Amino acid sequence: MTAESVLKEKISLSDRINPIVVKELRQAVQSRFVIAALLTLLLVQLVAIGIYILASGASLFGFDAGRQSFLMLFGILQVVAIIFVPLYTGARLAAERSDINVDLLFITTIKPRSVIAGKMFAAIMLTAMIYSACMPFMAFTYFLRGIDLPSIFISLGIGFAVVVACAQGAVFVALIPVNRAFKIIFGLITLAIFGLIYFGTMAGVSGVVTRGVIGRDFWQAMIAMCVVICFLVGLFFVMSVALIMPVASNRALPVRLFITAAWLLAGVAAVAGGRIENDHWPVIVWLLMFEIVLALAIFAAVSERDQPGRRVLRSIPRSLLGRAWAFFFFSGAASGLAWTSVMVVLTLGAAVTCVELFPTRANTNDLIDSAKWMGGMCLYLFCYAVTGALLRRHLFSRVGTELTWLIAAILLAVGSLAPFLVGYIAFFNDQWWSEDLGAWWVGNPFAWANKGHRVLYASVGGVWAMLVAAMNLPWFFERCEGFKASRVAASDAIESVPRAVASGSPSATD
Amino acid sequence: MKIQIVNLKKHFGATRAVDDVSFSFSSGQVVGFVGPNGAGKTTTMRILATLDEPTAGDALIDGVSVVEEPERARHLVGYVPDSLPTHRDMSVHEYLDFFARAYGLKGLHRAKVIESVEEFTGLTGLRDKMLVALSKGMKQRVSLARALLHDPAVLVMDEPAAGLDPRARIELRELLRVLSSQGKAILISSHILTELAEICHAAVIIERGCVLMAGAIGDLVGNGARRGVVLIRVREGRERLYRELLETPRIEKVNFVGEEIAAEIDGDEEACCDLLTGLVGRGYRVVEFKLQRANLEEIFMNVTKGAVQ
Repeated sequence: MTAESVLKEKISLSDRINPIVVKELRQAVQSRFVIAALLTLLLVQLVAIGIYILASGASLFGFDAGRQSFLMLFGILQVVAIIFVPLYTGARLAAERSDINVDLLFITTIKPRSVIAGKMFAAIMLTAMIYSACMPFMAFTYFLRGIDLPSIFISLGIGFAVVVACAQGAVFVALIPVNRAFKIIFGLITLAIFGLIYFGTMAGVSGVVTRGVIGRDFWQAMIAMCVVICFLVGLFFVMSVALIMPVASNRALPVRLFITAAWLLAGVAAVAGGRIENDHWPVIVWLLMFEIVLALAIFAAVSERDQPGRRVLRSIPRSLLGRAWAFFFFSGAASGLAWTSVMVVLTLGAAVTCVELFPTRANTNDLIDSAKWMGGMCLYLFCYAVTGALLRRHLFSRVGTELTWLIAAILLAVGSLAPFLVGYIAFFNDQWWSEDLGAWWVGNPFAWANKGHRVLYASVGGVWAMLVAAMNLPWFFERCEGFKASRVAASDAIESVPRAVASGSPSATD
Repeated sequence: MKIQIVNLKKHFGATRAVDDVSFSFSSGQVVGFVGPNGAGKTTTMRILATLDEPTAGDALIDGVSVVEEPERARHLVGYVPDSLPTHRDMSVHEYLDFFARAYGLKGLHRAKVIESVEEFTGLTGLRDKMLVALSKGMKQRVSLARALLHDPAVLVMDEPAAGLDPRARIELRELLRVLSSQGKAILISSHILTELAEICHAAVIIERGCVLMAGAIGDLVGNGARRGVVLIRVREGRERLYRELLETPRIEKVNFVGEEIAAEIDGDEEACCDLLTGLVGRGYRVVEFKLQRANLEEIFMNVTKGAVQ
């Protein structure tokens, strides 16, 4: 092999690597912050294991020293990884996409998908570096007894997957197109959620190392967890890609296709799993997961652009059937509302069908209850979102469509709390806490867990939904009518050609 | 290739940063984009570079819309922002290598392009220096080098000369001349108007988001020269000439400037010819007769009010 061919092969290999990965890893290995964080983690682990051994005395020779020390080290590793990696990845991306200074990387010809994939791959590499640096400490706990190697590796695998999911979540939050103040608020909320995820992970891993990696229940939980993590990573990935796609492009298409495909696949898997288990729990997990996602999607849908741009219109199929399908998957507030509404109804319909077809399976009542709960929540969120859209169009027309979610969120907060506060101020007596006050939570979509007042909630929600839907119908039909293929190119659409500032054949001025 | 800015608008709430801006220019032209701070220059340029979305209107580069097809437009535009590269922990070569990869350049071709761009912008000796350690002028070169990596047909440069020392400014001017002669269309904003006038074929003057004046430099200067100043030096009879000029129709103001007399004339080149003919006819031995054209700076001061939003 000649030197030239070696060089060519090396360059060819380097070309296959995502440029973002090359840049991020170059910067990470040269970053004092990353090096300091890694060395601090190793030092803390070393000190912690040292103190544990010295403080344990005779109990070190018991049968759970390995388990305890592993949990301690894993807790330190996880708290660093779950905060550091998403924070490092998210904060850098947020700075690159700041509302006042977008990084020039985003005006190169690199595809949005490659940008997000590169960021995520770099985050995964960083996580792998942190985990591999801590591996000797983790392996050492095996020699202290009380823990087996499969438990160690599966626990580390769970922790790793959780950190990757959190990093993808942080990437999404960093890309939400809001100003700095909102970004900080969203960042803090995300950090709080990461805190909850940390405690959840610790509880899960504690169960793994205590009970071991055997048994049907363990593998069921592992499969459910893997499905949820894969779905969340995929969902955040496509949403992040959509956020950095050009506004004129069909940004909704990949997100809606992903959710629909995942909904279908996970639904089939849940029904199959329910059949094998003779239990409705897989369908319940599926129902909860997708209804929550679709409920949030309603808020996103009303915040989409009202009228699809020329670029989207150009890609609409000409046939009636093609147009009908495309309407549900193309960008636009009306399309988004139609798609989410249909998906919510289909999900509930699938749950009801499962109950009808397999009434003897375990957890049937839980499935019915979950369907009512989720259906009610989605109904209320639909009402708030559509009312928000209505208000924006008629009262706050100067507010951009992209902020409709904010109007809807304010309505949600007011509607959820106002009836209860009014009741508290005007009607409640000193013994109010001992009364059944469920009826006063009538505007709260999360109060549907309260079974005693569901008829009232449903009546109010149903009337409200019909009213706002009727008020939105003219707008909706107008958008449906306007959803037609257009073949007008940008240059053809220009009515007046601007005057040239200089005429003639230019040449360099000397 | 034609670059058309068509009825471009960009509103930030009630502020109309860009308000119905339209102009066009072609390959090989250097167009100065002039206006006071807050006039809407940077916003227009960012839209052209696909960094921002307009509220209305469009910009077309060879028929490719920056609003509808920014992915295609990005192949055609190189953008040099007013802020300089701030990437920490990266050397000049790593920075350029990253952007070359991001523009899809591969293998030996990428290496050759980076090498030639480094050579063109005079960065060869600095390739291993960290970006944070560079001076402003050097960072500006890095910025220009980055914008040239994918050989764009259009260069959009926002205040590239700001903060540069005279030598760096002259070097930048030379680079722009070469790029223009290579057929690149260059839109450049600057506060240093005398320099713009030297290098630009045309200029667009903008204030409060609106175009006040646009055209070839010669036309702009011609329009601004309706009240030109004529410098006259005669062998003898300076005082007599001074008195006679004061009584001459269309001469509004007369001053002694060293050995010369500066007469402000209300008229075009024809009026100057008449004046010179009259002087010679009256027996003056004219050594020097020069019409001082209004420069871009004066035109700028005349048409703008310095208003910001």
